[in-house]
Amino acid sequence: MPGAAERSSELSEQIEAFVARLRGGGERPRSEDTARQTLSLLRKIIGHGRWSRAGELMDLIRTEGRRMTAAQPSETTVGNMVRRVLKVIREEYGRLHGRSEESDQQESLHKLLTSGGLSEDFSTPYPPLRANVIEAINELLIELEGTTDNIAMQALEHIHSNEVIMTIGYSRTVEAFLKEAARKRKFQVIVAECAPFCQGHEMAVRLSKENIETTVMSDAAIFAVMSRVNKVIIGTKTILANGALIAVSGTHTLALAAKHHSTPLIVCAPMFKLSPQFPNEEDSFHKFVSPQEVLPFTEGEILAKINVHCPVFDYVPPELITLFISNIGGNAPSYIYRLMSELYHPDDYEL
Amino acid sequence: MSADDLIETFRAQLRDDPDVASAVAAIRALLGFLKQDRGETIQGLRSSLLDAIDTLSRVDSSVAVSSGGELFLRFISLTSLEYSDYSKCKEIMIERGEIFLRKVSLSRNKIAKLCHPFIRDGARILTHAYSRVVLRVLEAAVEAKKRFSVYVTESQPDQAGQKMAKALRKLNIPVTVILDAAVGYIMEKVDLVLVGAEGVVESGGIINKIGTNQIAVCAKAQNKPFYVVAESFKFVRLFPLNQQDVPDKFKYKADTLKTSQNLTEEHPWIDYTSPSLITLLFTDLGVLTPSAVSDELIKLYL
Repeated sequence: MPGAAERSSELSEQIEAFVARLRGGGERPRSEDTARQTLSLLRKIIGHGRWSRAGELMDLIRTEGRRMTAAQPSETTVGNMVRRVLKVIREEYGRLHGRSEESDQQESLHKLLTSGGLSEDFSTPYPPLRANVIEAINELLIELEGTTDNIAMQALEHIHSNEVIMTIGYSRTVEAFLKEAARKRKFQVIVAECAPFCQGHEMAVRLSKENIETTVMSDAAIFAVMSRVNKVIIGTKTILANGALIAVSGTHTLALAAKHHSTPLIVCAPMFKLSPQFPNEEDSFHKFVSPQEVLPFTEGEILAKINVHCPVFDYVPPELITLFISNIGGNAPSYIYRLMSELYHPDDYEL
Repeated sequence: MSADDLIETFRAQLRDDPDVASAVAAIRALLGFLKQDRGETIQGLRSSLLDAIDTLSRVDSSVAVSSGGELFLRFISLTSLEYSDYSKCKEIMIERGEIFLRKVSLSRNKIAKLCHPFIRDGARILTHAYSRVVLRVLEAAVEAKKRFSVYVTESQPDQAGQKMAKALRKLNIPVTVILDAAVGYIMEKVDLVLVGAEGVVESGGIINKIGTNQIAVCAKAQNKPFYVVAESFKFVRLFPLNQQDVPDKFKYKADTLKTSQNLTEEHPWIDYTSPSLITLLFTDLGVLTPSAVSDELIKLYL
């Protein structure tokens, strides 16, 4: 049928374009945009792909998901959205299959003792599955739209008048958070510029447009100024399964300084940044870009004799973090495992 | 089944398969006891099982046997809640018991699969005494073509570390046996600490061979990750706040408990390591942070 063939080739073109954009790097994409694009692409795959059983669909999504994550491993939102979709498919299948709502899908001691035999094999075809899954994904997309607003709404509980807040680099979530608080409270913000890309400058400009008293300082001065800071509020790229962060380079320094002065460190991040990976040998979250920013190519003679690196991300261990503020509320780092079990299924941790 | 038969079955399990965990041997023996039980009611079954578990703990009073016994009791209660007809109930119990034992035999492989990616190439690992789970994890790391070296504490008073070193040498892993007292000295050279556990308590802490707590404290002081590998049937409903809270029957061997006049003169065989010193626990239920352990226990027991 020409229609279907056309659609499927158009679909694979779109997937190729998405993968190429991920791999290409270039301008730093917004995590929310990446998440939305991934979900739309997955929705198209589910809508137009050739599958009849839930098991086939899950394999299809997994294959595409693996390809997309392999293109840019540091962009963990892609993998997270794939896992959310897989969980959605399992839930919808379970609902159609007639399993009780509260059956625990996770491995647990309880399940070990009471289960009677083989696990699900997802092979019964159900015609309404396609429509149900697409509806669930639409709900996910709507949830995605509202994440920044949900986080910003909690700002007034955490920021009080005449406080000095420190942040680093440019995070759109933190920007929205601070702007929301600035509508009712008066406070100061100190922004660490976050070399070598100095995105802190852009953050400072945007904040000062809202009449927030902002100061920019270099990363080296973080420790010196920390004694005068009441709270540190930062954004992050990824939240790992043990409650640790993968955030912009310089965040670990900030976290250590805050710990030393017993200043609370608050991380504002939406739930789609939560990744079920642990920091281990893989270390695929590390991303190095051109060292041009650190030592420009004009310094030709020196460059021949030394190694220059420009890592983009930093690892921050969970002990240094006080609170995570996400679209579902505030949580301690030790509670992250619970949030993960609600968002993803353990069989999907390894795509 | 008489008490002596039960003890003989239990001992035979441990003799025939030196690799089996003592909790699994206890559960297998209890399942055999269940099969031969002539009672007609759940209450009768429960009370005879309680006696059987008591008998077993008089032979081997370790945490593992106690947790295995409690798990089996819980298993009986859960199944009996679903089926009111006793004979049907008993059939289901025996069937599920077999399935459980089968699943549990795979647990060490599951743990090894989860844990070996955390061992980097060129890592130096410190371990304590003899743990079959740690051995399986290191075997999996060798199969994944990783090169690493191991330090083992000799672990007095039974020199279990020597047994571990022998097993590791058979796998061609470079191993050094160190004195228990040398842990603080060696910690700066080590990249990570990997230990097994005899029991995992509700707070996420562990009960393990004496000396584990010291290693954990040294590791914390030097910022080295402290990983624990344990199967899920080792989870125990205990919440010790300090070393004193751990019951005496776990600290000393069954024979010592029977014959000794004054327990304070005996050397304890186990100690308690608090959850704040543990980085991650690798179990067949997944990789857990210590705070996730109590969640698992709640799901089972409440």
